[in-house]
Amino acid sequence: MTQTTTRMMKWDNMRRVYVYSVPTRIFHWLNVLAILTLILTGYVIGNPPALMSNKEASFGYWFGTIRFIHFVAAIIFVLNFIFRIYISFAGNKYENWRSFLPVSKRFWKSFWQALKLDIFQMKGKEMIIIGHNPLASFTYFILFIVFIFQIISGFGMYAAMSDKAIYQAFVWIVPLMGGDAAVRFWHHMATWFFVIFSMFHVYLVFYHDSVEGRGMLSSMAGGWKFFKKDIYLKKEN
Amino acid sequence: MSERIVIDPITRIEGHLRVEVEIQDGKVVDAYSSGTMVRLLEEIVKGRDPRDIWAYTSRACGVCTTVHSLSSVRAVEDALDIIVPPNAELVRNLMFCAQYLQDHVVHFYHLHALDWVDIVNALKADPEQASQIARSISNYPKSSPRYFSDLQKRLTSFVDSGQLGIFANGYWGHKAYKLPAEINLIAVAHYLEALEWQKEIIKVHTIFGGKNPHPHYLVGGMACSVNINEVNAINAERLAHVGTLFKEAKRFIEQVYIPDVLAVAPYYLDWGAIGGGLENYMAYGDLPTNGVRDISSFKFPRGVIIGRNLSEVKDIDAKDEEQFKEFISHSWYAYSDGDQVGKFPWYGETKMNFTGPNPPYDQLNVEGKYSWVKTPRWNGYPMEVGPLARMLVGYASGRDEFKDIVDSTLQKLNVPVDALFSTLGRTAARALETQLVANWSMEFFDQLISNIKNGDERMANTERWDPETWPLEARGVGMTEAPRGALAHWIVIKDGKTDNYQLVVPSTWNSSPRDPEGQMSAYEASLIGTPVEDPEQPVEIIRTIHSFDPCMACAVH
Amino acid sequence: MTKQANTLYQEIRQKGYSRRDFMKFCSTMAAFIGIEAHGIGRVAHALETKPRPPVVWMHFQECTCCSESFIRSSHPIVADILLDNISLNYTETLQAASGHMAEKSLHDTITNHHGEYILLVEGSVPTGDQEYCCCIGGRSALDILKEVAEGAKAIIAWGSCASNGCVQAASPNPTSATPIHKIIKGKPIVKVPGCPPIGEVMAGVIVHVLTFDRLPELDSSGRPKAFYSRRIHDTCYRRPNYDAGLFVESFDDANAKKGYCLYKMGCRGPVTYNACGVTRWNNGVGFPIQAGHGCIGCSEANFWDNGPFYRHLASFPGFGIESTADKVGLVATGATAVAIAAHATLSTIRQRKNVQEKVDESKAEFEQN
Ligand code: HEM
Ligand code: HEM
Ligand code: NFV
Ligand code: SF4
Ligand code: SF4
Ligand code: F3S
Ligand SMILES: [Mg+2]
Repeated sequence: MTQTTTRMMKWDNMRRVYVYSVPTRIFHWLNVLAILTLILTGYVIGNPPALMSNKEASFGYWFGTIRFIHFVAAIIFVLNFIFRIYISFAGNKYENWRSFLPVSKRFWKSFWQALKLDIFQMKGKEMIIIGHNPLASFTYFILFIVFIFQIISGFGMYAAMSDKAIYQAFVWIVPLMGGDAAVRFWHHMATWFFVIFSMFHVYLVFYHDSVEGRGMLSSMAGGWKFFKKDIYLKKEN
Repeated sequence: MSERIVIDPITRIEGHLRVEVEIQDGKVVDAYSSGTMVRLLEEIVKGRDPRDIWAYTSRACGVCTTVHSLSSVRAVEDALDIIVPPNAELVRNLMFCAQYLQDHVVHFYHLHALDWVDIVNALKADPEQASQIARSISNYPKSSPRYFSDLQKRLTSFVDSGQLGIFANGYWGHKAYKLPAEINLIAVAHYLEALEWQKEIIKVHTIFGGKNPHPHYLVGGMACSVNINEVNAINAERLAHVGTLFKEAKRFIEQVYIPDVLAVAPYYLDWGAIGGGLENYMAYGDLPTNGVRDISSFKFPRGVIIGRNLSEVKDIDAKDEEQFKEFISHSWYAYSDGDQVGKFPWYGETKMNFTGPNPPYDQLNVEGKYSWVKTPRWNGYPMEVGPLARMLVGYASGRDEFKDIVDSTLQKLNVPVDALFSTLGRTAARALETQLVANWSMEFFDQLISNIKNGDERMANTERWDPETWPLEARGVGMTEAPRGALAHWIVIKDGKTDNYQLVVPSTWNSSPRDPEGQMSAYEASLIGTPVEDPEQPVEIIRTIHSFDPCMACAVH
Repeated sequence: MTKQANTLYQEIRQKGYSRRDFMKFCSTMAAFIGIEAHGIGRVAHALETKPRPPVVWMHFQECTCCSESFIRSSHPIVADILLDNISLNYTETLQAASGHMAEKSLHDTITNHHGEYILLVEGSVPTGDQEYCCCIGGRSALDILKEVAEGAKAIIAWGSCASNGCVQAASPNPTSATPIHKIIKGKPIVKVPGCPPIGEVMAGVIVHVLTFDRLPELDSSGRPKAFYSRRIHDTCYRRPNYDAGLFVESFDDANAKKGYCLYKMGCRGPVTYNACGVTRWNNGVGFPIQAGHGCIGCSEANFWDNGPFYRHLASFPGFGIESTADKVGLVATGATAVAIAAHATLSTIRQRKNVQEKVDESKAEFEQN
């Protein structure tokens, strides 16, 4: 037999699972886009390069534009995040909000197991998880908290530039943190969290994909992951 | 038996000063001066960026605002071997002059005058006669009989209102007030005029430093770039504003301040023999005309006079670890190697050690520690610093400008040179140096204009701005003449941070408690022998204390 | 001396000012405190009919520059008004009496005008077991403040010292310097931060209280909205340069000479609420940015610990002054990259075995068939 038929045969053994629905995937990629934009524009806001000299201010607005893009991306980011919260109630069980909350005992058990296997590369029983693995869930949980912080602090800073009630609703953060300077400082700091998260996250996605071969990488594109039938059935019952 | 009287708060000064004196047979026989508020700025600046320290230290005092910034940037520039461009030096000089003009005028009219001027007595003046006197001593335009009678009406209704405000409970009617009613009235008029005027001259600080109090400085020069073709920079309009302000200031000094001092002094010539105190005087000198490193180019010369010997001026070296020491044997601090030693400021320590009495208290324990002010000494000598010291050092250095103005004034008042060593001498010296500063300000201004005209628009030297360019360790001293006297900051920089920082301030020299040998400092010494007519109304003590223009926020810092 | 106290208007007239001068003053003040033209009549009426309210000005841990700034207030008769038309019964900087005669002035005011006088405070107050760090007349500042605040109708906290502790409260705050609102509870307190506040702003706040017999509207931090609701950055005349991305790169460079934005020189305008950009200093002559130096944020709580001043973000807490947030972030990112590389290497080694196993496995499967 040729290799192709082997693969075909193996396919028969496999079960594909629809893990991430279209809305979740839209969320994910919109989120990626918004965050990358926010990181880049945010970095430029914090460290503007010397692009021009000997110009008159009336002829340029590039820095204002960068800030504008930051604010537009911020709005997209916030709405998209609200959308994800909606999915977490309306979507499938892999998308449910429960899958992110580190509350149950079981969660922590498999969390440590994942930590040992994935991160510390220790020997142990292979983990088979259909949705996010608990380690990933936990980092997403932290990530969501930082999202919220970044939104509150961003809006808190923006409140100074707008009388709109929506922004004014966030001014309380400013005195709470000890003034705009502190808010700005921590907003800036949190950016590095996103940078670092993204590096880990993307790496681990590739890692899992290559080690487990269950289609982790493509799952955020097509929505499907792939499991051996028996394993899948065992997991589901 | 002697009687202890306590004056606390001493008002019409900056800060919190307490004076306790022993009075015997109507004279002061012993005196203790205490600074009663502390903030510990020297500890707070530790570990911070040396380029920022000017801002922290300026907050030592908002009255002599700018001098601590100047000392601080000079200390850092000295440590890092930065030479500032000539324009920056000139701008600093102009800010220095503006500070003197404002500070000295406010001191004379608003802090000191009420010791000599009886406001209530001015109600009895004849406006016609007041006008005549005013016109005979000055060309100041506001001298008409109408002007004085209107003022008198305002004053009468003010007193009649029963709400005396800041003038309530003054020592009005005390025998020590000697001025005729008309001169009292003129002085009150100028109290109000000076209040209006003082806010003008400080606009020089706003133009070059952005605000007053507490204008902004910069290590390496000044931030106010010059560009005569730019609305956003120091241009012709801004410079013209500065020029006008100094011109007006000079006029005010010549038409109001100096004539008033000369009009009041003849009634108080007995005060030319009271309040002398210490016999040593020290000035660091300032107003460089060829960079801070060329001391001989200073308008105010540097030097020390010992024992009132005006024929010798001794040299000062602020980096000589033997010359300068600070003691704390009577101050509420502790040194790591015992409280009897003196410390050179690079090795200075500022650790609190309050030994009581705990508030509320009636008397300080003057045998032990009794002040937040440290006690600086020069070669072991206590020093008087301030306008009198500056004028004496200038005089003894043989500078014509100083000799002329001092000698002509002594002549006008018909008093001997010895009268300088006194409460009156101190107050007169302040006025005379204000005149000198007003003259010099025009020179600096013209020099700045001519530099710019010749194409030199540099305002800051940023070669050593980046901490990467600094040595791992560096030490510096920044000296200046603050309005109240010789001021210096000593800095130690390590790894780009402020490792140690000590301010030794004019009012520290003057107001300090005794040193371990029991030698008094200037305030205490000057009070000995002062007559006190009525211990309930110790206006005489306040006169002498005010002649130093105390600044206790400065003194303790 | 028990005559009915004069009203401000009478006071002004007796000083020889005309009704026109008086109305001019009223409209200046109205403009200050943001009243529309039709409100000027109310200002005038209020000043005409009220006697001079008693005011006491306490000095604690401070540098007196708030007092200095106050006397710089420029609009012609404001200085007169504030010296003569409020009854400033106690202020150590200017009052004639010293010692217990001065204390008598204070005592008389707080007993005879209990509940009526306005308390102005300049300076912070040492607390805890460090009350001894500021004493006046042998009493601690804390003791005095509590007594004086008790009968005050309202309190105005001048400057950063009284509103947030200012420089002496900067780390490590060795004297336990404490702002007024943390000590006095249950009294209306207006914070007028700034180091110092602008003289005209100080005058404006007092006149607001005087005129309307009520406190100005305050923001959530207790500052009058009239002066503290805008950031320097939003009212800065260099703002177009910021938006155009034109920055001073180094002091006195060509860009500085063109008046570009000082953001990269550490300007705190974007995080500082004050009236400097609008009211400006010393009768509108300028403000720090106009003199080429960035704002150091002097009206913001904590601004002394948000340094160094020549970078727009503070140094990272606990990492020394050379640590920017970005340096710390970069190091963390670098560490991440290293960790990932290590992990990848490790797992590749492991995986080679796995892959071998998988290959063997499929070979076996293949041979079976
Ligand atoms: C992942 C999310 C975000 C990242 C990574 C991010 C990053 C940044 C960074 C690095 C800065 C520059 C800070 C400085 O150095 O001064 C900044 C500024 C700012 N961000 Fe964000 N940001 C995010 C989300 C938001 C959101 C949701 C808002 C909400 C409106 C927001 C509003 C702002 C504002 C107002 C500023 C100050 C801009 C200015 O005044 O010019 N940001 N951001
Ligand atoms: C090439 C880039 C990326 C790829 C291939 C990728 C892929 C994936 C995959 C496969 C998952 C599902 C993993 C799981 O089941 O645990 C996932 C989840 C997630 N990723 Fe990414 N990702 C990328 C970049 C990012 C970035 C930059 C961010 C944000 C900073 C991000 C945020 C998230 C979040 C929040 C989830 C959880 C999604 C949910 O359940 O709603 N991703 N990503
Ligand atoms: N003493 C003192 Fe100062 C001055 N002049 C500073 O150095 O007053 Ni506040
Ligand atoms: S707030 Fe600043 S300016 Fe005012 S007294 Fe305090 S230190 Fe001085
Ligand atoms: S100079 Fe400062 S306040 Fe002005 S626009 Fe630039 S950053 Fe903003
Ligand atoms: S430093 Fe202060 S004076 Fe204004 S511009 Fe900034 S708030
Ligand atoms: Mg000192």
